[in-house]
Amino acid sequence: MLTAITGKYGGGYRLTLTAALMAGVAASATLAQEMTDVGTPRNETLIVDMLNARVGNPTNMNSYQQGVTINHGYHQMAASLLWDIDTAGGSQIPVLAASMPEALNDDFTRFRVPLREGITWSDGEPFTADDVIFTDGMIRGTDALAYSAAYRNVIASMTKVDDHTIEIETTRPTPRLSVVLGSVIYGNNFYVVPQHVWEGEDPATFTNFPPVTISAYKYSDHDPNGSWFLWEKRDDWQNTDIGQMIGEPEPDYVLFRSYGTEERRVLAMANDEMDILTDISPESLDILKGQNENVRAWFTDFPYANLDDPCERGMHFNNAVAPYDMWQTRWALALAINLEQASIATFSGMMRASPLAIPPTEVLMNTYHEPMTEWLKSFELGDGYKPFDPDYAVRLADRLRAEGIENIPEDPAAARELFGVGWWKHDPEQATKLLLDAGFTKDGDTWLKPDGTPWEITIFAPADFEVQSQRLAFAVANEWSRFGIPTQVQQMQAGAFFTAENAGNYEVGSYWGSSCGIIPDVFVRMEGWHKDYVRPIGTPASSNQARYVDDELSGYIDTLREIPADDPQIVEVGTNILKELVQGLPAIEMFGTSKFVPVNETYWTNYPSAENYYEGPWWWWSNFKFIAAQLKPQE
Amino acid sequence: MKLLNFILGRLFVYVMVLVVGMTILFFVPRFAPTDPVDAMLAKVASQSGYMEAAQVDALRASLADTFGLQGSMIDQYGAFLKRIFLTADFGPSLSMYPTPVTELIARALPWTFGLLFTATIIAWVLGNFVGLLAGWRPESNPARVMEGIAICLYPVPYYIVALILSVLFSYVWSIFPLTTTIRGAPWSWDLIRSILWNSFLPAASIVITVFGWWIISVKAQTTALKEEEFIRYARLKGLSDTRLLTRYVLPNAILPQITFLALQIGLMFNGSLITEIIFDYPGLGLLIYSAVLQGDYNLLMGTISLSIVAVATATMIIDFLYPLVDPRIRHG
Repeated sequence: MLTAITGKYGGGYRLTLTAALMAGVAASATLAQEMTDVGTPRNETLIVDMLNARVGNPTNMNSYQQGVTINHGYHQMAASLLWDIDTAGGSQIPVLAASMPEALNDDFTRFRVPLREGITWSDGEPFTADDVIFTDGMIRGTDALAYSAAYRNVIASMTKVDDHTIEIETTRPTPRLSVVLGSVIYGNNFYVVPQHVWEGEDPATFTNFPPVTISAYKYSDHDPNGSWFLWEKRDDWQNTDIGQMIGEPEPDYVLFRSYGTEERRVLAMANDEMDILTDISPESLDILKGQNENVRAWFTDFPYANLDDPCERGMHFNNAVAPYDMWQTRWALALAINLEQASIATFSGMMRASPLAIPPTEVLMNTYHEPMTEWLKSFELGDGYKPFDPDYAVRLADRLRAEGIENIPEDPAAARELFGVGWWKHDPEQATKLLLDAGFTKDGDTWLKPDGTPWEITIFAPADFEVQSQRLAFAVANEWSRFGIPTQVQQMQAGAFFTAENAGNYEVGSYWGSSCGIIPDVFVRMEGWHKDYVRPIGTPASSNQARYVDDELSGYIDTLREIPADDPQIVEVGTNILKELVQGLPAIEMFGTSKFVPVNETYWTNYPSAENYYEGPWWWWSNFKFIAAQLKPQE
Repeated sequence: MKLLNFILGRLFVYVMVLVVGMTILFFVPRFAPTDPVDAMLAKVASQSGYMEAAQVDALRASLADTFGLQGSMIDQYGAFLKRIFLTADFGPSLSMYPTPVTELIARALPWTFGLLFTATIIAWVLGNFVGLLAGWRPESNPARVMEGIAICLYPVPYYIVALILSVLFSYVWSIFPLTTTIRGAPWSWDLIRSILWNSFLPAASIVITVFGWWIISVKAQTTALKEEEFIRYARLKGLSDTRLLTRYVLPNAILPQITFLALQIGLMFNGSLITEIIFDYPGLGLLIYSAVLQGDYNLLMGTISLSIVAVATATMIIDFLYPLVDPRIRHG
């Protein structure tokens, strides 16, 4: 038919027809862009990448059941905690609670907590102390909830004082009650539930769907196959934590959705179908920036990534397994690494180094890394050797500048701020000396362990997730192989990877869980290094998966356990803990985590960024609601 | 009597295949380095604060009990076979607890079946049609062009084809969606349109990469058959090309293709894996992938056992149907 028409009317008609078709396609494309494919106006919808891809059980929003995913918007937009985290300030803030807990006795076992007044659930019922007390009783009384045992272990009781005040009693001194029941990193299990909805239900089987919400957004719609969840701004947003703390959020809808593979997620943002992405690789960011001029990263220039993630990356040892049970082994392996090389091989130098067991975030750099630099410079190993190299940042800056990378600071202080205060020297000779002193031998080019067997290393690394740890494992394997120890990387899916860590069925792993922190009170993760948590190999451990026993370190942690988060001693005790971890080096800490989490400014602006640092870019944390509420529509 | 023996023998083989398949399926994940209880324990521990050793042990025992992983492996195996063969119950998903595995499979199965069955049939019909013509009339230009395209596309890895289709038709021209978004009231035209719209690219990627194989195989059959004496005889009798092709060549060339088609349909649950991951299509493939990542024994056994049942059943049906289409077997 088309041939007949074009044949009759000639090429002119064909051209017109083609133009009309293309115009039609373009027009329909424009129309399609005005509405999202879930039927909401695009310019009123904030679209956020879902962290864990599709949700298999989308109609179960009971966060207390193990196996239920809630980071599809429920815990970011709909639920609220008593206390959440201000990631820019590095401190906790009251949310459903009206203030931080007030200790009623000197041994920190009784607290009074005032609750925020004027808050209502999304069905109009008021939020009161009864809801909190009911939630306490529900968790306490339901053994089938995995959280129940841990909760009962700390919280002895909750009692109502009046409609907006409760008292909490703990089973032991708990100077950090807000950490136990609130968020410091990512979130917390203690979500207050509405008594009028949950009463009479079995929390072990209740699906809580559709959920009655307490924050500024309510459930609107979802994909039965779990690929998207739509949350709608509540008409009564004034009666919510966000309404009271920030004001009216601009997005009428927040759509959490999954696009599957990284290629598709990147295409979605390039195509303006996505406003906020979770982790992508630096290569993907490069492509994305070339495809869409409205896409921006945390920094507009090098290093692009946000460097303030609360968990740093490095090589973690199973300290209960020979030869990694000797400090000489661990220190020798650290000195065998050329960190510049590892940084470039991992993320082209876009990382901040950290010699301490706490991430080099802005807040923690100021609290620990900078003040401890002089100590690091004078720190000696047993034989008097000083391993610290304060010039790492300056050398890396010179190298990157020589390679033609722009905007690398020339000022040494600025270079240290960007690339870290320093790291350990690359000193193969000293590494060799340490190993020989510890009983290792060399047979030609082959290193033999003290028991006489050839030394080979297998580094466990994540496969297809946590790309920085994955790449870092290969970079370090390369360094150790160059040093003369044949090293290979075994990539593992999440289940196998963490099972091995918990059960201690590994020797060296590219893990990170015990190297986290976000506030100057280092208790939150340092507690995990206590010898109390060490379990035999093969038995899962909830903490101290490195199986590291250090009495002095445990003593400092005992001190930390007894003082509240705002005690003046906190930084001093934290510093002592970090020094102890440097001396024993149970894990080779290497870099803060560089998060490439781009945003698209086509429809929304005022995202947090390096120049506009009102929150960190942790879209999958419970405090995302405070970011979403501060976004502005693009004019 | 002979027929009854044949049927009973075939049924016995069928049951044995299922038992052996299920047994392997039960034991293999248990020797994998992933322990779903420990994986869940890590997840719970990360949000519950620090747990003392006794608490960890109690929680571990509680999770193992909840997941039905208490007792020796033999005890678990016995309970597993009983559940599977008597009630077709795979228990709850361990990673999406407490959702039953059967519910997850029931939700995903129609998507995989609809997509892969349709695409496989289209590729089979198209490939055989073109291959038959290409073998019968090798000088025909349309057949040569189609064959050329198919042979060029056939060796290209599926992943590349799928990615190119996505980039071209979902990004450069934005014709099809980047991810599967099904909307519409049940049984409405909107829903059907949405399903077709979302399934077009995944289906096209399968047809493009698969139909070349059908062309090549049926063309070889047709070319060989053309030289057979019974075809020459028929031609000398003066039969038309159409009659020769439809009554003499096609029935002979198509026989092995039917066998392969049946196996292909049986295997399609496995083949869905890459397609569904690449196109984020909500079928069994994505479910299997998620089960592997999370060490979800129950879900893994549920999804893969479906594949075992499908292949065993398809093979058995073909064995029963073959005599109907092949007179040599019927009379032999």
